[in-house]
Amino acid sequence: MDKDPGSKRERFIKRAAYVIGTLVVLAGLALAYIPQSSRFAAKGPANTGHEKLACTDCHKEAPGTLRQQLQAKVRYDLGLRETNPAFGHDRVSNEQCMDCHAREQDAHPTHRFLEPRFKEARDQLGAESCVSCHHEHKGVRVTMAPTSCKTCHQDLALKNDPLDVSHRELIAKAQWTTCLGCHDYHGNHKRLTQQKLEDAYATKSILNYLAGGPSPYGHDLKFPTQWGAK
Amino acid sequence: MAHAISRRFGSKRLLALGFFVLAAIYLFATRPAPLQAEQASGRTVPVETVFRVVAAENDVARKLWTADIVGAGAKVGLKFHEKWREPAMQAGPLPALFLREASMALQKTRTPLGLFLGSDFPIAQSNKFSGIQADHFARLRQSGEPQFFNATDIGRFTAIFPDRAVAPGCVSCHNEHPNSPKTDWKLGDILGATTWSYPKERVSLEELVQIVGALRASFGAAYDAYLAKVASFPNPPEIGERWPAEGYFIPSKRVFLAEFERRASANTVERLLLSLAEAKAASLSAER
Repeated sequence: MDKDPGSKRERFIKRAAYVIGTLVVLAGLALAYIPQSSRFAAKGPANTGHEKLACTDCHKEAPGTLRQQLQAKVRYDLGLRETNPAFGHDRVSNEQCMDCHAREQDAHPTHRFLEPRFKEARDQLGAESCVSCHHEHKGVRVTMAPTSCKTCHQDLALKNDPLDVSHRELIAKAQWTTCLGCHDYHGNHKRLTQQKLEDAYATKSILNYLAGGPSPYGHDLKFPTQWGAK
Repeated sequence: MAHAISRRFGSKRLLALGFFVLAAIYLFATRPAPLQAEQASGRTVPVETVFRVVAAENDVARKLWTADIVGAGAKVGLKFHEKWREPAMQAGPLPALFLREASMALQKTRTPLGLFLGSDFPIAQSNKFSGIQADHFARLRQSGEPQFFNATDIGRFTAIFPDRAVAPGCVSCHNEHPNSPKTDWKLGDILGATTWSYPKERVSLEELVQIVGALRASFGAAYDAYLAKVASFPNPPEIGERWPAEGYFIPSKRVFLAEFERRASANTVERLLLSLAEAKAASLSAER
């Protein structure tokens, strides 16, 4: 019979530590080897329409073995290599998005923002990258603020303005939430742009759409994309 | 002996030393082969050479489209419009939009060559040069010569080449368009510039050939888009061997690209051969 309550308590803590340690290791192995468990490793819920994607659809393995990657990283840190290699997985780039969302036309294609003059759009919005506006694992469709048009379109001047209330007037009044009421950012919906401000979609329905709700622009696409991606 | 060493240096220090030695072997040993860097290897040419090759190719495609399809086509009843993509519009792309089609198609080839069109007096305000591009374009307008610079914030080597009014249609359209900010253009004027960008300072010869291939495929894709639109016309022109100069006809993609290649290839091959010599000289100089 153990008469020392201190050592009993110590043994209990040790056993508990072993059990917790084993569970942590098992959970780690499960995350690494059971594909279905990878959902638990995600930073948050998938964005609208991405619910059924596997993690590896976007997170591609980086080239090379773990040892090659480590060696390359150290060489880069020591200034012996010019490019910083990816470790584990490549960064998700526009290419993964384009695998499903490529279309013949786009009113704001990301590559266009790699033109030097779009510095403000790059600095303020990161418009050259899909995930800047569609930040993944947020459980919504768009994470960009609906007033972001002001970054590039402050100086908009139309000689023949087709809208009943001039664009200049809307800009002067900083009514930036009205832009998406008539224009869909990527311009892939088959529809006629409104010519009267009163016909513009309500800001509430636009915000709801950005958050993952139904599309006020309709579902008829000019260029249907891979797997029906919008 | 081991006990003596352990006593002299201390077991913790020995363990740490052993760890660093193992880590050094793991990280710096030559096997496995080091991860391939993204830099071009072998014989390379400066990216400026690449820009000169693709800009010359683009000049040919642009002139062919502008004069032989748009200019001649307009005389036989073919329509070209800035809103040509609208379903109800029975028209093809104006020259600037043909270039934009090619630019979009180029991105799909995953070749990191950027192609853009802009001006200091653009019809669409969104194409107006600003910042570093406006500064270089001002120099281009003065000298008429292409400008090369490194856009460090995007990690892209960049070139801008003059885009001239090569056909009467360019002048009339830019002077008569209701949104044109300048209405006294003349034939041969610099209307704007094409901007090209690429992420590497030097490019291997193989990569250069791939770039030219991707650009040509993009011109083909842009022409395909026009043919697809033509197919939706109620009264489409005949597509085949003949050109608009001969009547209400347009060339097939094969005929269009064959004519493009006939006009562009001699110059491109000559530039590629010069690049080969240039790369060989650079390689020899590096070996010395």
